[in-house]
Amino acid sequence: MTLIFRSTICALAALVGFATMLRAAELKPYSGSGCSVVDDYFINEVWAKVAAESCLKCHKAGGDAEDSKLVLLDPARLTGARRTEAMQANRAAFAAMAQTKEGDSTRLILKSTGKVKHGGKEAVKPDSTGQRILAEFTRLVNAPDAAALAKASANAEKNAPPFFSGVAMLDDRRLLRRVTLQLAARLPTDAEMNAVTSQGTKAMPAILDALLKEDAFFDRLREGFNDIFLTLGVDGNPDQSVLSYEHFEKTRGWYQNTNLNKEFLEPIKDEKERRQAGYQLANDYRKALLAEPMKLIEHIVRHDRPFTEIVTADYFMVSPYGARGYGIFDEVKDRFKDPKDPFEFIPVKLKALTGRSKDQNQDSATGFYPHAGLLSAFQYLTRYPTTETNRNRQRARVYFLHFLGVDVLELAARVGDAATVSAKFENPTMQASECVVCHKTIDPIAGLFQDYWRFADMGVYGKRKGGWFTDMFAPGYEGEDMPASERWRALQWLGERTAKDPRFAVAMVEHAYYILSGRKVLLPPKDLEDPRFAAKRRAYAEQRKQVEAIATRFAANGFNFKQVLKDWVMTDFYRADGLATAATNPARRAELDDLGVVRMLAPEQVERKVAAIFGKGWGRLKHGDGGLDMLYGGIDSKEVTERAADPSGAMGAIQRILANDVACRQTALDFSRAPSDRILFPHIEPDVLPGSAEADAQIRRAIVHLHQRVLGQFDKPESPEVERTFQLFAGIVSDAAGKKGFEKQEIYSCRQNLVQPVPDPNYTVRAWRAVVTYLLRRQEFLYE
Amino acid sequence: MRRDFLKLCALTGLGFACPGGVTSLLRAAVKEEPPYEGPFYLVFNASGGWDTTYLMDPKGINEMNRLYKEGDILTKGAHKFAPTDKHKTGGMSNEEFYAEFGGELLTFNGLDYSVNNHSPGARYMATGKLDSLAYPTFAALVAAAKGPTCPLSFLTFGNYSATGNVVAMSRVPYLPSLQKIANADHQDGNLRSPYHDDFALARIEKALAEQREMRSALPLLPRQERAESMLYAAQVNSKTMARVTPHIPKDVPKERLAQQAEIALASFKAGVCVSANLSIGQFDSHANNDRDQMKLIPELLAGIAYTLRRAEALKIRDRLVVVMQSEMGRTPTYNKGDGKDHWSIGSVMFLGPGIKGNRVIGATDDRQFGVNLNPATLALDKDKGLKVRPEHIHEALREYAGIATHPHAKKFPLGLKETEKLKGLWG
Repeated sequence: MTLIFRSTICALAALVGFATMLRAAELKPYSGSGCSVVDDYFINEVWAKVAAESCLKCHKAGGDAEDSKLVLLDPARLTGARRTEAMQANRAAFAAMAQTKEGDSTRLILKSTGKVKHGGKEAVKPDSTGQRILAEFTRLVNAPDAAALAKASANAEKNAPPFFSGVAMLDDRRLLRRVTLQLAARLPTDAEMNAVTSQGTKAMPAILDALLKEDAFFDRLREGFNDIFLTLGVDGNPDQSVLSYEHFEKTRGWYQNTNLNKEFLEPIKDEKERRQAGYQLANDYRKALLAEPMKLIEHIVRHDRPFTEIVTADYFMVSPYGARGYGIFDEVKDRFKDPKDPFEFIPVKLKALTGRSKDQNQDSATGFYPHAGLLSAFQYLTRYPTTETNRNRQRARVYFLHFLGVDVLELAARVGDAATVSAKFENPTMQASECVVCHKTIDPIAGLFQDYWRFADMGVYGKRKGGWFTDMFAPGYEGEDMPASERWRALQWLGERTAKDPRFAVAMVEHAYYILSGRKVLLPPKDLEDPRFAAKRRAYAEQRKQVEAIATRFAANGFNFKQVLKDWVMTDFYRADGLATAATNPARRAELDDLGVVRMLAPEQVERKVAAIFGKGWGRLKHGDGGLDMLYGGIDSKEVTERAADPSGAMGAIQRILANDVACRQTALDFSRAPSDRILFPHIEPDVLPGSAEADAQIRRAIVHLHQRVLGQFDKPESPEVERTFQLFAGIVSDAAGKKGFEKQEIYSCRQNLVQPVPDPNYTVRAWRAVVTYLLRRQEFLYE
Repeated sequence: MRRDFLKLCALTGLGFACPGGVTSLLRAAVKEEPPYEGPFYLVFNASGGWDTTYLMDPKGINEMNRLYKEGDILTKGAHKFAPTDKHKTGGMSNEEFYAEFGGELLTFNGLDYSVNNHSPGARYMATGKLDSLAYPTFAALVAAAKGPTCPLSFLTFGNYSATGNVVAMSRVPYLPSLQKIANADHQDGNLRSPYHDDFALARIEKALAEQREMRSALPLLPRQERAESMLYAAQVNSKTMARVTPHIPKDVPKERLAQQAEIALASFKAGVCVSANLSIGQFDSHANNDRDQMKLIPELLAGIAYTLRRAEALKIRDRLVVVMQSEMGRTPTYNKGDGKDHWSIGSVMFLGPGIKGNRVIGATDDRQFGVNLNPATLALDKDKGLKVRPEHIHEALREYAGIATHPHAKKFPLGLKETEKLKGLWG
């Protein structure tokens, strides 16, 4: 075995097999050193910067250049040893081309720069960084002294400190608070806080296990996944858009049918009340129909089922109201705990669809609808409809995005002259290499949705007259054609392959990151000429290692999604909370640019946090309540599908209103309760005035309590933070004392619903209200 | 004080030199910013891909259009346009639009989008950069450069709206919601019912400013620096939202573009907004192209006309810059469903102060391919000219807005050589 080959294996194992090399319990990503010093040049330079971006799209099985001599293996689709072997093969293929002399150059250089016949034409521009990388690789491969390779690679890695060096982490108590608020909409219990205080992070797994069984967690889970799948954004009334006239004509409108709704409405004698109840019935029914896909996710996670069921489940979730719409209520009603509860959901298999005319009956070898998790859900298919000309390609696109984490369009390749290409070929999507590169991947997936060929407001299931298009690549999956016998269950066939694709696990881990951080994982930097490229690349690579480490464990442990969340919250990526010293080096700043959760809370999260801290939500950021939630960066799952990441001035105004209003509602109210019932001020009374050492100490202790409860800060009474709040309180009381004739009670709107009157002769109640207002406007409250 | 000011400066604007002049930020932290006086930038998006041959690039040949022939093409000054008066279903015809605005309109035909898919096309047209998700839209960039402290600096009503993290985007779903958030320190916005007495509110603000100063002196992660400075600025600048109230019209128009325009114009007039993305969709006329385009193009033009007239009434018309664009064009042929599919060649139109109107730059040929252009002379040069792409338009827009050398613009370079820049596009 040559030195290069041995070293190459070593290096590849280090990079590609990092996930499997980890100790699963720790999930620490690989961070360099060891045996990886030799052929990192291929991995970090040739593969990362050139091959993966410019070559792999076509030069792979199923790609446009699959018939060429250079066929690469996609490591993203492999795991463990197979991935390592793939990179070895890729490296060998590149090395062979780099060693093949053609004139004064090599085949690798000539092909990549389009100077000899190359389907991808000029994949790498002359004199670009990419071309220099290939030239250097060629030089190294052909170097008589193999040590040059080792030297070059070693240089690439030296001087790099550990990625998290100098990054301060969230302490255990604040980590606990972040987790309980984020995942269960509550503050930590005393028992949890004591456990973490005494045991540190060792206490977290047990706490998380319990936390992830709470109902509030499942609310957040559904909300988080709807941010991704957006199935609540189905257009129109779902009883008509989700349930087709063709297949559910007689049952979908049950709530309007006096025979079918009589058990709900007939007992109500007052006409107005009955009408209102009818509206409520319709609303609940529609809400329940829309909720089904996210309830499937809840069901899978709640019962620790393999998360692959989101694409393979041979059932769907249905409520008593929904069951009436599908016409299956009598079949399943005994399985509900409360058949009148609109929001109880159970797993059910639907029978194959029966049309109004026989030719609209659904083919099925089993007699059942071929459920395939979300893929076959009416809501999902309605949310992402097709058109005559789109030919299910939009569905294919979102399929890749949602289930494999691949955005086939976001970074679409520039076409030299797209108009000419369109005009030159009779069928560009199958003939023009510029188009084939994507369509060869997308179109087979689109074809798998072929029997869901109904357009807007016309239902979901239905075959295309004349059969599926022949001027598209045939239905299949990444180079594998779908057998004709599988057509009736094409989406199940797709789901089975999706679940086995390593990209599925990675995509789900990325979704978990999105739910926790509010943003997508980093994309690899593209601009090789960017002076910060290396830093950005490192940030991407470090995060990618973590993603893959968690994904490996996810797949190995039966796809338990809770484990993904638990793994993420214990990572340094989730805990990063500051720096030991300021990062002034531009490259280091670029490395750290995306680090830290630092997430502005969404309107729903603000509401939940207010409720957790004060015992009652604010209410004005609830969806649909006058549009404030939308103004505060919320989504409607239809037109507005991405939450605002940064606050505008308008949102700043809402933050002020919230702080003013919540403090107004809660401060005097809390003082009006018995001390033992108080949330905010359990250890102080309004008659404690600043000025004496004893009173000041008591006020400071009250502030410490407020800081902990509202901000999650564990400040000491003598800390500068507490001192600032103390000065705010004392200053206001002092200012008020200098005013003549101020009211001796709170303003009218802030003394409503009190348990007992709370006089304010010394202005202390209002000063405490100002303190609460101040705290509610702070970053520690408004951000995660 | 200076240290604080520089610190704030470095942080707000997301780690770059202080946009809009360094003093603006310090003022923002201590007192109310003066209103932003303009120019104001409006980008109208015909989302889905408009058929340029039914508007500013008429053909009437080779069966490209079924509603008119070449001989029916109309002119207004230098402009040629398709006749739509007999075909429109509501809205404003081309005839009416060009009669009213042709004299100040600059049209660019033959723009090469390079791609013919919605998502990358929209991104490319909005930012000038095809292969990056990080670049801000022009509207966001100009807002960040010219009015970073405006509470609604960058408004968006849809379409691709990435900010590049240089400014916060604002979505205002409907006019009354602006009323709700003006006067945030008063109960229900009623100026006679403050939540706090003035002296108490002043102390709250002081404590927040001190707390912000303390935090800014700590070594923070870049994300923390950005978030905390943006949060502080958002709350401080939100006070100026009160300026919007007097400009909110009593009657809300029914038309969707007019509704968006009223929100943007009220915000412009109040000096709290620099730019806005306005958008109407459904231009993606794969089926029944003529029916759809004859409904939507007149709707778009009517919305633009409404905006310009309202701006006139509000006395900000002379400071209003309008960009009219779409993410793609439509094929020169009809498909079997009487529709037209995606086409990577299109057009863009402009009007505003400093833009010489009554001009048409660039062209498409009789098969609707773009004709290359000499960037130095703007003359057609099929053989030696270059394909004009969104980056060329955006570079010119940046120069027109005076932000081409702004640090934010430099952070998102468009990569054009000097010889590739369009000289004299604005006249």
